[in-house]
Amino acid sequence: MSSTTLPAAPPSAAPVPRATRAITPARLLPWLLLTPSLVVLVVVTGYPLVRMLWLSVHEYERAQLLGVPAPFVGLDNYVATLTDARFWAVTARSFAFMLVCVTLTITVGTLVALLLMRLGRVMRLVLSIGLLLAWAMPPLAAMLVWGWIFDTQYGVVNHLLTSLTGADWMGHSWLISPLSFFTVAALVIVWGAIPFVAFTLYAGFTQIPGEVLEAAQLDGASARQRFFGVQVPYVRTIYVVLIVLSMIWDLKVFTQIFVLQGIGGVKSQTSTLGVYIYEMGMAQGHYGAASAIAVIFTIIMLAISAYYVRATITEEQL
Amino acid sequence: MKILRFGAVGLAAALTLTACSGGGDAGTGDATGGAQGAEIRVWLVGTDTPDEAREYLKSTFEEENPGSTLTIEEQSWTGLVDKLTTALSSSDSPDVVEVGNTQAATFTSAGYFAPLDDIAQDLGGDDLLPGFVKAGTWEDTFYAAPYYAGSRIVFYSEQVLGSTPVPTTLDEYVATATSLRTADRSGLWFPGQDWYNALPFVWENGGFIAEPGDDGTWEAGFSSPGGIAGLRQVQDLMTNASNAPKDGDEAELQVPFCAGQTTFLSAPNWIRWSIQAPADAETPGCADTFGADLHAFPLPGATAGETAKVFAGGSNVAVATRSANVDLAKKALTIMLSEEYQTILAENSMIPARISLASALPDDEFTQASAAAAANAELTPATPKWGDVEAQKVIQDALVQIAQGGDVETIAAELDATIESILNG
Repeated sequence: MSSTTLPAAPPSAAPVPRATRAITPARLLPWLLLTPSLVVLVVVTGYPLVRMLWLSVHEYERAQLLGVPAPFVGLDNYVATLTDARFWAVTARSFAFMLVCVTLTITVGTLVALLLMRLGRVMRLVLSIGLLLAWAMPPLAAMLVWGWIFDTQYGVVNHLLTSLTGADWMGHSWLISPLSFFTVAALVIVWGAIPFVAFTLYAGFTQIPGEVLEAAQLDGASARQRFFGVQVPYVRTIYVVLIVLSMIWDLKVFTQIFVLQGIGGVKSQTSTLGVYIYEMGMAQGHYGAASAIAVIFTIIMLAISAYYVRATITEEQL
Repeated sequence: MKILRFGAVGLAAALTLTACSGGGDAGTGDATGGAQGAEIRVWLVGTDTPDEAREYLKSTFEEENPGSTLTIEEQSWTGLVDKLTTALSSSDSPDVVEVGNTQAATFTSAGYFAPLDDIAQDLGGDDLLPGFVKAGTWEDTFYAAPYYAGSRIVFYSEQVLGSTPVPTTLDEYVATATSLRTADRSGLWFPGQDWYNALPFVWENGGFIAEPGDDGTWEAGFSSPGGIAGLRQVQDLMTNASNAPKDGDEAELQVPFCAGQTTFLSAPNWIRWSIQAPADAETPGCADTFGADLHAFPLPGATAGETAKVFAGGSNVAVATRSANVDLAKKALTIMLSEEYQTILAENSMIPARISLASALPDDEFTQASAAAAANAELTPATPKWGDVEAQKVIQDALVQIAQGGDVETIAAELDATIESILNG
C-alpha cells in the first residue's frame, strides 16, 4: 500500500498568492493550468494517504475488507508497532542497507560518468546502450535472471567459481546467510540504479565549461584536485538530488528483496521495511497494523524529501 | 548553473513519477452482470489438475449454460493466500477458487466464501472426505468443498537402489538414506524449506505442531521432547543424506530425480506423471531412464509394519462471496465435484473428494502406497490463524537454519514462541 503513496515531492511548488491581492482572471490562470496535475495528485497520492491514516487508527483485518465495520482503536496500532522489537530490527536493517546501496550507487555512478567523458565515440555508445538496457529491464524480470545467476544448484556464479578456484562451489547457497543475501541484493539494486546516476552526472559534467577546467589545469591543479575542486562543486545540486532520490528508492525497495526471499534465504532475517509492511498487511491481513507502520515509514520519507525540496528551493532563490 | 539545476530537477521529477507508476494492475475483466452471457472465472492452483479435467469442466459448463463461458486461470502456490485475499475482496473477484486445505480456514472465517449448505447434497453430501469438509466448515456453515487429496510417498528407481532393501522403519529409512549418499547423489532429496516432509518425523517421535489448551490458548510442540527428537532426525537427513540446496523448496522435484541426483524422493504421489513424462515433453520427465523402473513405498513408521503419520495434502474449492454470478459459480463447482470430473482426477492418481469414487483410482503401487499413507494422515492446527503461520514461512525459516546445522533446541524454542504468538495473537 505504502509504496504507491510515498510522496514524490512535487518539485515545482505553486506560487502562493498573497492574501491582499484581488482575485483576477490573470491570477486564476496558473491555478487553472495546475488543476489537472493537482487532480491527478489528489486521486493517486492523496486518497491512498488519507485511507492509510484512517486504516492506521482502526482494527482492520481480512473480514473488514468484505464490509464488516472496523472498530476504532486510537493509537493502539502505533503503540504496538513502536514497542515491537521486530519493527526496530527491520528499520535498522533497512537504513543500513540503504546507506550501503546509496554509497555504492553514487560512487560507481560517478566513476562510470567520468568514464563516459573519457571514452571515444564508439565505446561511449556501446557503454550507453549497455547502461540503458540495464535500466530498461523491469525489476521483476531482472530479479529472476539474477536469481538464476546465483542459483544454488545450477547457478553460473557457482560454476565459474568452481572452474576458476578449483574448489567445489556447486551447492553453495548465496542467499542463506543474511549478509550474503544482502550482498546479492545490493549488487542487483546498485546494478539497476547506476545507469540513472551515471547518465545524470555525465550530463552534468559535460555542461562544465571547458575553459574552467583548462584554467585549473594551467594553474597546476591535479586531476584529483580538478575533480573535487571544480567538477564536483559545479554539479553539487545534481549530487544532492541524486543522493536524496537514491535514499528514497533504496529505503522503499520491495521487488528485489521480495523476489530474492522467494528464491531462497530466511524471511525473518532479511525483510526490509517495504517487505515487512507487505507481510503484515497483505500476507497476514493485519491492515490496520500495517498502515500504522506505513504511516511511520511515510513520515521518515517525508523528512528526507523535505530536505530535498528545501535544498532545491533555496538554490532556486539564490 | 541554472540550466543544470533545472534539468536535474525536471529529470528527477519525471523519474520519480515513472517509478511510482510501475505497479499498474493487470487489467480488469469485463464485469458482465446477469446470468445470461456471463463469464465464470475459475482459479486452479498449480499444474496438479489434469488437462482432461480442465477441458471437461469448460465444455460441460458451457454446454449446460448456453451463452456463458468458463475460463480457467492457473495460479501459483507461492503467495496464494496474499493473492486470494486481494482478489476475493476486489470488485473483480474470480468466481470459483481452489485453495490449499490448510489455508481454507483463513478465508471461511472471514466471509470470503459463499455458503454452500444449499447445494451440499448436490456436491456429494456424506460422500465427501470428512477431514476436508471439516477444513472447509466454519461455525457450522459449509463454505469450501473438498477438491482432491493426496499424500507424500517415497519414490525410488530400481536401477539406482539396486539390491539395498527397502527400509521398513523410520530409523532404517534415515540410516539407509544416509548410507546411500555420495558426492553426486543424495540418499534422500531434502531441500531445507520442505516442511511437509519434516512434519512426519516430528509426529512419529511424539511431537506435535500446536495444540489448544483448556483455556483455548495454543501451545506449540516443536520444542517438546518428541519435537526435538524429530527435528534432530530431520537435521541428520538434511546434512548427512541430502545434497539438496539448504534453502531450496519442494517445487519441481522431478528435476533432481530425473537428473539422477537422488535415490529416494519423498513427494506427492501424482508426481509420478511428471517423472514418467517423456524427456521431450513441455515439462520434461525421464520416462526412458530413471522413470522406467520407478517404484514407491509409503514412509515407514517408527515400528515395522506401520506407516508414518504424514501431512494430509490437498485442496478445497469454494465460490467467492464477491462473485458477480454466485448461482452460475455454484453450477461450475457442482461440475467439479461431479462423479465424471472426480473420476478423471482419480484416474490421474489424485484421491477424489468423493469417497465412493476411490475405486476409480488406478491399481498400481503408487496409488496403493499413497492410500496406505493417507490412512494415517495428519492435518495442521484447525485455526484460521494457521494461514498466517504459513504465509510468514516461519517453519520453513526454522528448517533452513536446521539444515545449516543450527542448534535444534534453540531453533525449536524460537519457532514455538513465534507460532504461539501468531496463533494466540
